[in-house]
Amino acid sequence: MNNIVSIAVKEIKHDFRDRRTLLFMLAFPIVLMLILGLALTNAFSSNVKLGEMKVLVKDTSHGGPLADAFTSFTAELKKSDIHFETIKKGVNGLEEIRQNRYDGYMELTDSGISLYGNNQSAIEGNVIEGMLKAFTDKYNAVSAVAKVEPAKVSQLFVPSASANGSYIKETSVNANRQPGSMDYYAVAMSVMIGLWGAMSAGRLIRSEIVQGTAPRLVATPVRRSELFAGKVLGSIVQNFLCVLIVVLFSKFAFGAYWGEHLGIALLILLSEVVMSVSLGLGVSYLFKGKASTGILLLFVQLASFFGGAYFPVSVSGTDMANYIVLASPIRWANHALTELIYGQSSVFSAAWPAISLNLGLAVLLLAVSAVFMRRKEGL
Amino acid sequence: MNVLDIRGLTKKFGNFIAVDNISLSIREGEIFGFLGANGAGKSTTINMIASLLRPSSGEILILDRDIAKQSRFAKMNLGMVPQDLAIYEDMTSYENVSFFAGLYGLRGTELKDRTEEALQFVGLADKAKSYPRDFSGGMKRRLNIACALAHKPKLIIMDEPTVGIDPQSRNYILNSVRKLNEDGCTIIYTSHYMEEVEEICSRIAIVDHGKIIAEGTKEQLTATITDMKDIRIEVKSLTDVPADQLRLIPGVRTVRLDEMEPVIRIHSDAAVDNLNRILKELIASGAEIRSVEEQEPNLETVFLTLTGRNLRD
Ligand SMILES: Nc1ncnc2c1ncn2[C@@H]1O[C@H](COP(=O)(O)OP(=O)(O)OP(=O)(O)O)[C@@H](O)[C@H]1O
Ligand SMILES: [Mg+2]
Repeated sequence: MNNIVSIAVKEIKHDFRDRRTLLFMLAFPIVLMLILGLALTNAFSSNVKLGEMKVLVKDTSHGGPLADAFTSFTAELKKSDIHFETIKKGVNGLEEIRQNRYDGYMELTDSGISLYGNNQSAIEGNVIEGMLKAFTDKYNAVSAVAKVEPAKVSQLFVPSASANGSYIKETSVNANRQPGSMDYYAVAMSVMIGLWGAMSAGRLIRSEIVQGTAPRLVATPVRRSELFAGKVLGSIVQNFLCVLIVVLFSKFAFGAYWGEHLGIALLILLSEVVMSVSLGLGVSYLFKGKASTGILLLFVQLASFFGGAYFPVSVSGTDMANYIVLASPIRWANHALTELIYGQSSVFSAAWPAISLNLGLAVLLLAVSAVFMRRKEGL
Repeated sequence: MNVLDIRGLTKKFGNFIAVDNISLSIREGEIFGFLGANGAGKSTTINMIASLLRPSSGEILILDRDIAKQSRFAKMNLGMVPQDLAIYEDMTSYENVSFFAGLYGLRGTELKDRTEEALQFVGLADKAKSYPRDFSGGMKRRLNIACALAHKPKLIIMDEPTVGIDPQSRNYILNSVRKLNEDGCTIIYTSHYMEEVEEICSRIAIVDHGKIIAEGTKEQLTATITDMKDIRIEVKSLTDVPADQLRLIPGVRTVRLDEMEPVIRIHSDAAVDNLNRILKELIASGAEIRSVEEQEPNLETVFLTLTGRNLRD
C-alpha cells in the first residue's frame, strides 16, 4: 500500500511540475472557455424578452378541415400574447411586414399555409415559424386520421387541459433555466479536460521507458501490480484535480452555473477521468510506442469535436455524424451534466447512466491492460 | 560465501542467442569485471541478474537463493546502476534517491539519513535540492549511482557507469567503487574501458558473442598469452607511416595508429624476430622515430589474442 502511494505521489508531482501539462490541462481550457463563452454569448441567449406578437392572416380558403384546425390553433395562441388579425380589404400583407407593423404574415388557402417573416424581428419570426411548423406537423397527422374517421378530426383540435400551450412548448420558450454560453462552455471544457486524461495516462508506462527509469523500477522489490495501481491512482488524482480546478474556476471566476448538485456533477466528471485514464493505459498496451500516442491524440480530438466541446451538437436524425457523436465519451458526460443541471429528471437518473458506463468501460480497459502487462518482460 | 552463482545461463531474442550458456561464481568482497565489446552480451547478463529479463534457461542464485523463486529477497540485496541513466529529470537529487529508497521499504528518519548518506557518498550533498536537468554528464552518472546505494545492498551491479564523462568524474566514480568495496559491498562492474577494469577489478571475465572466453585475475589472464608481444613506437608524425606495409611483415597481427601521442602500436607474435624489419620499413618511408618500447602484455593484448579484434574499434 505504501508503495502504491509513493508511486502515485511521484506521478502527481511529475505532472504538476510539467509546464506543458499545466498549460494544456488548465490554462488552455480556461482561456478557451473565456473566449468561446464571451464570443458566443448571443448565440446562446434564450431568455430574450418577447413582447406581444402580431400576426396578420389572410384567409382565402373555403372552410374545410385545414381552416377549422387553423382557427382552433389561433384561438389557443391568443392566450400566449400572440395575436392574429384578419387582413382588411385593400391591405397588402407583404407591405405590412416590410414596414415592420406585424411580426408575421400568413396566407391560408385550400392547399396550405404560407408564412412571411420580417428580418427586423428575426427572433419573433422564428418563434412564429416554429409554432406554425408544430401546427402543420400536427395537422398532417390529423389529416391522416381524417381520411379514416372524419368525425374525430375536430376533437383533436379542441384545446384540452393537457394539450394547452403545447405549440408554444415545442418552440422552446421554456420556463426552465437554459444554459448561457459561459455555462455551456464551463461544462464542455471541464468534460473535455476529463477526457484529455487519456493522453497523460497513455504516457504512464512509456515515459518510464523513455526516461530509462523502467529498469530501475523493475529492479526494486515493488510488485508490478503495485506499480500499475500507483500509476493509475496518481493519474486519476492528478487529472481529476485539473478538472476540479477548471470547474471551480469557471464557477467562481466566470460565474458559470453548475446547478444544485455540484457534488454529483463532480462525481460524473470523476467517473469520466477514471474511464479516460483506463483508456489511455489500455491503448498504450495495445499499440506499441508512438502509435498509441497518435491514436489517443486523434481520438481525443475527434471526441472533443464531435462530442460538443467546441460547439453544441444535436443528436437528432440518423446520419453518420450522429453515431460519432454518440460514441464520444464527451457526449455522455455532457449529456449527463446537462440533464443534472437543467433537466427535470431525478439526480439519480441523470447521473447514473454515464457513471456506470464510464466505470464499466474502465474496468474492461484495465483488465485488458493487466493481461497485456502480465505477458510483458520488464515494464 | 558466494554472493552470486550463475549456472548455464542463456538468453535468446528470437533466434539470436545474446547470452550463451554462461556459468560463473562471484565471492563476497570481489570487484568483478565484465569486459567485452559492444553487443557482447554484458548488459543482457546483468539484466537477468537484476530480474529485468527472464532467462531462456539456466539458474541465478543471489546469496544462495534462486532469484526466480525468491525474487523479493534477491531484489532487496541488489543495487542496480543501469547503463542508461535511470533518474527523473524533474525531481531533485534528494527526491530521486529518496523515491527509490522508499520502494525498498525505507521510511521516516532512516529514509532521510540513508538518502543524505548516499548523496554524500557520490559528492552531491550540496546539490540535494537541484534538478538533474541542470547537471553535467558526470553529475548525472553519480546520481545514477546514488539511487542504487541508499538501501545498502550486498551486491551492486554497475553497467558502464562511466560512459561519456569527464576524467575527473570518472576518477571520482572509480574511487567510490573502491570505497564501497572496502565497506563490504561486492561489485559487478562492466565496461569496455580496459584501463578501468585493469585498475579496479579483482577478477575479470572476458565476454564475447554471449560466451565467457576467459576468466581470472589480471595476472592470470596476461600470463596465458606469453606468445604475444606489444611494440610501442613513438614517432614525430604519423603522416608518413606505411601502416599497410607494416601489416605485411611476418608475425605482425595488428597495427594501430594513435593520433593523440602520436604512437604506433603493433601487436605481434613473440616468436618472430621482426623488430628490425619494422624499424627498417619505417626509416625507409621517412618517419622520424623518437622511441621504441616492447611492452608487457595487458588486458588489451589478451582480448586481441582471444578474439582477433580490438576492444574498441
Ligand atoms: N531486447 C532485445 N531484443 C533483441 N536483441 C537484443 C535485445 N537486447 C539486446 N539484444 C542483442 O543482444 C546482444 C547483446 O546486447 P547487450 O546489450 O547485452 O550487449 P553489451 O555487451 O551490453 O553491449 P554494450 O557494450 O554496447 O552495452 C546485442 O547484439 C543486442 O543487439
Ligand atoms: Mg551494455
